[in-house]
Amino acid sequence: MLQYVNVNIDGAIIRATKGTSVLDTALEYGICIPHLCHVPYLSDIGACRLCIVEHVANGRSNVTTSCTLNVEEGMVIMTNTDRIRRLRRNLAELLVAQAPNSRAIQDIALRCGVREVRYPFRNEDCVLCGRCVRVCTEVWKARAIGFVGRGKDRHVDYPFGIRPDFCKQCGSCIQLCPMTIPPCGGPMKPGEECLCSNCESQLIIADEMVGSCVWCKLGEGFACGRYV
Amino acid sequence: MSRLNSFRELEHLRERLREQRQNITTTVMVCGGTGCKASRSQAVIDAVRDELSRQGLDTKVRLCVTGCHGFCEQGPVIIIEPSNIFYCHVSPEDAFEIVYQTVVKGEVIERLLYTDPVSGKTARIMSEVPFYQAQDRQILSQNLNVDPCSIEDYIVAGGYSALTKVLRGMTSENIIKEIVSSGLRGRGGGGFPTGRKWIECRDAPGDEKYVICNADEGDPGAYMDRCVLEGNPHLVLEGMMIGAWAIGARKGYIYVRNEYPLAVDHSRTAVEQARELGLLGDNILGSSFSFDVDIARGGGAFVCGESTALMASVAGKVGEPRPKDIHTVVDGLYHKPTALNNVETWANVPSIILNGSSWFASKGSQGSKGTKILALTGRVKNTGLVEVAMGTPIRTVVFDIGGGAVNGNGVKAVQTGGPSGGCLPVDKFDLPIDFDVLYKAGSMIGSGGMVVMDEETCMVDVAKYFLTFLQDESCGKCLPCRLGIDRMLEIITDITEGRGKPEQLDLLEELADTVAQTALCGLGKTAPNPVLSTLRYFRTEYEAHINEKKCLAGVCKALITYSIDPDKCNGCGVCLRGCVYGAITGIKKQVHIIDAQLCQKCGICRSDCKFDAIRVA
Repeated sequence: MLQYVNVNIDGAIIRATKGTSVLDTALEYGICIPHLCHVPYLSDIGACRLCIVEHVANGRSNVTTSCTLNVEEGMVIMTNTDRIRRLRRNLAELLVAQAPNSRAIQDIALRCGVREVRYPFRNEDCVLCGRCVRVCTEVWKARAIGFVGRGKDRHVDYPFGIRPDFCKQCGSCIQLCPMTIPPCGGPMKPGEECLCSNCESQLIIADEMVGSCVWCKLGEGFACGRYV
Repeated sequence: MSRLNSFRELEHLRERLREQRQNITTTVMVCGGTGCKASRSQAVIDAVRDELSRQGLDTKVRLCVTGCHGFCEQGPVIIIEPSNIFYCHVSPEDAFEIVYQTVVKGEVIERLLYTDPVSGKTARIMSEVPFYQAQDRQILSQNLNVDPCSIEDYIVAGGYSALTKVLRGMTSENIIKEIVSSGLRGRGGGGFPTGRKWIECRDAPGDEKYVICNADEGDPGAYMDRCVLEGNPHLVLEGMMIGAWAIGARKGYIYVRNEYPLAVDHSRTAVEQARELGLLGDNILGSSFSFDVDIARGGGAFVCGESTALMASVAGKVGEPRPKDIHTVVDGLYHKPTALNNVETWANVPSIILNGSSWFASKGSQGSKGTKILALTGRVKNTGLVEVAMGTPIRTVVFDIGGGAVNGNGVKAVQTGGPSGGCLPVDKFDLPIDFDVLYKAGSMIGSGGMVVMDEETCMVDVAKYFLTFLQDESCGKCLPCRLGIDRMLEIITDITEGRGKPEQLDLLEELADTVAQTALCGLGKTAPNPVLSTLRYFRTEYEAHINEKKCLAGVCKALITYSIDPDKCNGCGVCLRGCVYGAITGIKKQVHIIDAQLCQKCGICRSDCKFDAIRVA
């Protein structure tokens, strides 16, 4: 039998299923917390850190990722404070500066309030969110791709760089990859990357309504509770 | 030796060993720690051993190859008991003299004694050496008369009596109470109260529990854990046994860096010896306590010193941290409750049990009790391992024990706590070494590394060095650590190469703050500390780099130029011959000139010039 706990998210008392994460609960109730590496049917690793929230406990507030935090009775969560918005914007800025050539990333950056990018753009193909690795490992149990290297050299690759027989080229990894949707204006040329901000017009509504989100490509592809 | 089946058998063994050693009159203790081995102490050991057997003294004189004595600067170091004569910088050629004069005749060889460079006084015995005088050596002193590869030495010195005391009559409740009231806090860097960790682990549901000793020390310039594990592995083992008994664990691991071959070797030998004597295994000393320890060798990553990454590594997975929303005391190694403590923390446990918690709590400051081993390195006269009571001011450590900066320069700052710590300027040197005080000052004790910096150190360059280290060692799993450190390094590189802009400082500060708050593990959360602390205390240096394009310390190559002072140059031509780039021209006996186009700023001319005529600006 399902057990329930009461949690307080942004002032709303929510009845959440025991054992689910704060992020899942929030999305289910239409509280939009931006996220990238989280996929509903995959395990959460807390890699992109975009879903950070403030967890208030014992008079102290901790910043932690909501995807790895399980709901508990009486928990107080704040998803949209000034502090969180600032941190999230800085993280999204780092992300979009690294890989501007994706509509999903551009949307996330815009939604997190990035209006200017203060770092030189790099045109990377991968943001190491690990969606592909997890779907291959957890859903298909194939383990045909994985993370290789450490730190700056970390990348996704086949074992020893050769496509193994057990990769059936099912394409699940490509389907989940946030880098496959080009920005609205088409792919950017190397050296001409910029913040696309084509959907900025829709943000006017979003800015005034706390917790609301833009109708973005992200919501569609990334199972945002608001999109449905 | 046969297996010991009761407490009495251990005591009998101890007495028998002591009796056997009664006719040993003299003990020659040669440091075999890594620092002294690097100064060829192995050759000294061989020479002394040969000399002893040549003069037929094998049975009367005991040669003890010990762990680190601490004063690595003066290695190889020899101490001769019973008169405690202290010799430093010993070479193999001195062996004959040492054996003939000191061991046989009891005379002191003046030449090998330590002379204090400040007062010019010579010290005959160890306690006269200023380096040791201000210290309070509780753990390191146990290194002195114990051969790390011999369990007999440890037993003779009173080893495993804390374990006997615990198994004889202390309940888990009593042990933990003792540890809690001692105020022992984790020595690995976090400073988490050890007693509380043990309580949480003991109370966590599950029958199968683990204890782990974290010996994956990787901070640049820090080697305390190495020396404790190399010098006295049984002490750590005994601490782990007591912890395991208190928590209810039956299995322990020592996770030791593979880059520490001696530590791996010694801890493995210690475990084998303890197993042979029945101090590890089933029904230890006839009690109901069963416990075994395995050695896990590190996978070569700095991040594996982080608790969750370490546990993943022990379990054979990639050493990457995972979110710690559920603590490792509940969900640790193999998803079982696990108590992980640092080498030094475990090493403190036996003496707390033997001497009582009030003895331990009498040392130290309000919030931090006991002693702490610090690795004093960098541009300081006396480098080595220092053990002081918590609450000792930094000034005492750097100046009284360390003797100040080398070459008579002024000390500018001290970097504490390795890459996770920060830099503290001289005007903060009155701060006590205390977990909470240093944390508030923007640094931390960390594992105990202490790198002294003098006026020739550029603080921006220091921040750059630590960021480069962290960028290499970041696992790359989470975004703020992977990209944040990378971007911080990008900005700092810009600053050191003269491309910095004033607004970049604010960006750097904001980015550092973001990384500190959002990173996944302890490594990422503390990674911006070198940047934040240098920005806080040495902002003027950053500003000089950006606004005036000047490196005041003369380190950042893009911002300095070499020139020759015409008043001081007498045209000797040393610099001209030394310059590998052919950038110096000049006729003999006339003032030489450096061609700025060709000069690669290597600094060879500056170190060669006897007249101090090379200017750096």
